[in-house]
Amino acid sequence: MITLIIILNLFFPIDDNIKIVDPWMRPNAKGMASALYFTIENTTETTDTLYKVESEIAERIEIHETYSSGDVIGMREVGMIVVEASSSFELKPGAHHIMLMKLKQDLKEGNNGDFILHFKNAGEIKITAVVKLK
Amino acid sequence: MKKRIEILLTAGIFLFTLSCSQDLPLDKDLTKKSYKLINQDSMVVDFPEIILGNISVMGFIYTHCPDICPMTTHNMYLTEMSLKKAGIEDVKFVALSFDPERDKPHVLKKFAEIRDIDFKNWTLVTGEQSVIYDLLRRFDVRAVATDSVFYDDGEVSYSMMHTDRISLIDKEGRLRKNYMGSRINIEELIQDIKYLGEY
Repeated sequence: MITLIIILNLFFPIDDNIKIVDPWMRPNAKGMASALYFTIENTTETTDTLYKVESEIAERIEIHETYSSGDVIGMREVGMIVVEASSSFELKPGAHHIMLMKLKQDLKEGNNGDFILHFKNAGEIKITAVVKLK
Repeated sequence: MKKRIEILLTAGIFLFTLSCSQDLPLDKDLTKKSYKLINQDSMVVDFPEIILGNISVMGFIYTHCPDICPMTTHNMYLTEMSLKKAGIEDVKFVALSFDPERDKPHVLKKFAEIRDIDFKNWTLVTGEQSVIYDLLRRFDVRAVATDSVFYDDGEVSYSMMHTDRISLIDKEGRLRKNYMGSRINIEELIQDIKYLGEY
């Protein structure tokens, strides 16, 4: 039976849905802000959308992007991130990120935080992000 | 023949000196006016007095910034680490907050401590808003509050749109070069410091 499943999986691989790769966040003190970064890998044949992030780690969480005009930099809420079918989207420093506002605790290097990512198709995906000093 | 070689050598040295000074395009005297600032220990400090006598790397930040300012601060930190590895330990690092409303001294101190910043070489400064804005103008740095958020407890938070900046200042208090703080080429900054300090 196991052999049959392995063979079937070789020829008809199981759809991996949405994968979250290398989630990490920046250090900061309680009451201040931080950012969460990760890569979304969409291995499905349909577009999916990240539209909400929840966590006990911060008072408020929003999906943001950093933008620049010359040497002036700003930040704005974008509401959602669309990930095309069979593609990936990287949330990274200086670009899209999850903004963690009014942290409920200090985030020091090596600390962890749990998050629930809400996707339109994939539903809820739970992740744990580690604080990295970089 | 000897005279011709001397002329060529002189011209070569002149061109070399010129090319080096072109690498550091600015020469703005910051000592003409002094500013009373407050450091992370709530001590009143004078700018430019705190930087005179040392080459200084100055970053412009606000501590509630989640993305860009931590990159700027971390780039300064990485620069310090690289310099230390090269045996250069007398460069000063100054982080000036352009958000004095929220960045009180204890906030700056916590921001630094959580990043393992060594206060031996670092000073984080804030101050009266009018003084800070005046000093920002000396550096051509712009900062303005943008989107506001109201929390359930009534607290208001805001983001800031700002110049992405790290500046290099020489021992005499002259601004010599500006870099994009979050995207700086650290090796370029280190080379400029070595050139300035003749290390």
